[in-house]
Amino acid sequence: MAQPLSTAIDTAFKSNIVPDQEYLLQGSILDTSVEHLLHRLRGLCDNVDSGPEQFQDHEMCFTIRTTPTPLSLRVRRALDHTDMPWQLRYIGQPEYGDAKRPTIIRSSIDIGCSASVVEFLTELGCRMDFEYLARGYMFRKGRMKITVAKIVKTNPNKSQDSMQLISESYLVELSVLAPRGQDAIAEDMRSFAEQLRPLVNLDKVDYKRLAHGPP
Amino acid sequence: MGVTIVQHYPMTENRTGPQVIEFLTKRVHAMGAAQAGPFLVDCETYNSAPAFGPPRTVHLLNNSEQPATVFSILESGQKQVPLVSDPLFMDLMKKLGSVYTCKQQTRMEAKGPRFEVADFLVKLGTVTMNANFKGVLVEVEYRPCLVPAACWELLREFMQGFLGTCVPNQPPSYLQNRMQDIYQPLDTIQQYLDQFREYRKAVTVR
Repeated sequence: MAQPLSTAIDTAFKSNIVPDQEYLLQGSILDTSVEHLLHRLRGLCDNVDSGPEQFQDHEMCFTIRTTPTPLSLRVRRALDHTDMPWQLRYIGQPEYGDAKRPTIIRSSIDIGCSASVVEFLTELGCRMDFEYLARGYMFRKGRMKITVAKIVKTNPNKSQDSMQLISESYLVELSVLAPRGQDAIAEDMRSFAEQLRPLVNLDKVDYKRLAHGPP
Repeated sequence: MGVTIVQHYPMTENRTGPQVIEFLTKRVHAMGAAQAGPFLVDCETYNSAPAFGPPRTVHLLNNSEQPATVFSILESGQKQVPLVSDPLFMDLMKKLGSVYTCKQQTRMEAKGPRFEVADFLVKLGTVTMNANFKGVLVEVEYRPCLVPAACWELLREFMQGFLGTCVPNQPPSYLQNRMQDIYQPLDTIQQYLDQFREYRKAVTVR
């Protein structure tokens, strides 16, 4: 007899096969130097023949008043592939660990979903905090994903061309989604980050410290 | 996938649930049907906490016909918002445990044998709420067609042929406003939810 899907999901979580951990390193590079980084990534990454994959995503960040801490949910959609499913994402609190730990680890649930997700979340009781566009390039190296993207402020009243850039640099992220306990991948990420070192310093960025300015 | 009708089959006093399923199985076999595995549709219902503003309800439904999809239907006042997503959405609902709680007593399920009869798919579902028998639902799908208006008459005739007068001459109320639309898996789920609501309301078996 067919088993309920909820039972199947529980079993998948118990057997540790659900990729619900994100290993993450972040950095940035000035617009004037980004070509050097793209050139290097083109050489280092897997999709060398096809060239870097371009993307243009719209991301909306929602919070819902759960206790004890509010829950943050993100909705992403590809503006350049409007027929693709939307993505709903839960991201947990980042764990920085000590200096020995190579990357940030945060729990993450990625869910492909229909375009009704924004209305669904709003009716569910979520509030939209902010939104932005990410425009840039995506590379792959094994299980690692590298994105080099420009963050653009959205203005609902204006056309896309007149959007405001947040800064004069690109956000660089190196990430892997993996099931719990696969910490070996973090070491691979560290050594990959080392190879980009002269151009971009990929590190464990602590947002709370950033919010309070430099120490 | 094609147009699907979910039909309640009324219970008679002198028959138990398994007897009705057996009786209908014989009839379906008489039409030359071949059994093609089991099926399962289930529904879990989450209610918002009283402190969390106006009451809202989220129904999470799965259909074994779309095993990698979760269908969620959110009811907020008069408004209904559906969401079709990956199964991990069920895990996300658990993370909202402090504002949305699931009552195990209201868990509904329809499961039973699945048959193929030429272009039709027939499913005989035993409906249970928290493992208590509530009644029998029959699902019939006409696979070659995606527009309800184009095949309702055919479906009605086919269903009346083996279910008898319990099949009304009008399509289910949910489909009546959507007869010209392209049929989607979510439309089957909506019909199940409508039926499950009736079973929840009923004090005894229907």
